[in-house]
Amino acid sequence: MSEPGSTTAPPLPQTAASPRGNAVIAVLSAWLIPGLGHIYLKRRLRGLAFFVLVIASMLIGFRLEGNLYQVVPGQPLTILATLGSMGMGLPYFLLRYGLHYQGNIMGAGYEYGTAFLLTAGLMNLLLVLDAWDIVRGKKE
Amino acid sequence: MLSHFLLMVLYALIVSLFFTLLWRRGRREQTKLFLQIFLGMVGGGLLVAWLMYPFPSGPPAPIP
Repeated sequence: MSEPGSTTAPPLPQTAASPRGNAVIAVLSAWLIPGLGHIYLKRRLRGLAFFVLVIASMLIGFRLEGNLYQVVPGQPLTILATLGSMGMGLPYFLLRYGLHYQGNIMGAGYEYGTAFLLTAGLMNLLLVLDAWDIVRGKKE
Repeated sequence: MLSHFLLMVLYALIVSLFFTLLWRRGRREQTKLFLQIFLGMVGGGLLVAWLMYPFPSGPPAPIP
């Protein structure tokens, strides 16, 4: 029970569904395919633009033979980097397990490529959070 | 493709476009934020490069 005049926020609905869409579908689709969460939430142009930007970053990193992070025993920071890279969703697993991509440490663009690949994952994680905010009504 | 400057500009372009679309709606606000981020990244990169110019790069690190 709240005091009169208190500024306590109203309780969140108990279900995942909202007038804007289903939160679980929005978040999962946003993670799996960059921009798909926004397209699902009827932000089609923005979703398409996000898709192009994240995939472009991933493809440049791939072309430069950057490192697609995976966990290295004894190096705890690689756990964070791997989680960040996995943020790009399905493309990460397609590269890792579909193309058996590992990068090329001898490649001239290795460091730049690593930055592009990691950035693609981190940008998509932000898109997941953005989709979450939209579906919960915290953002238009 | 492997020009340091070109890759830096490309990276700044992608990141600044991304945050512009994520954080702003109006065309005027979008343009302003895009220019702030893009010029900040490219200009900041050039500034750091200029500051590091006097320091010798040394031999390349051994490959593990």
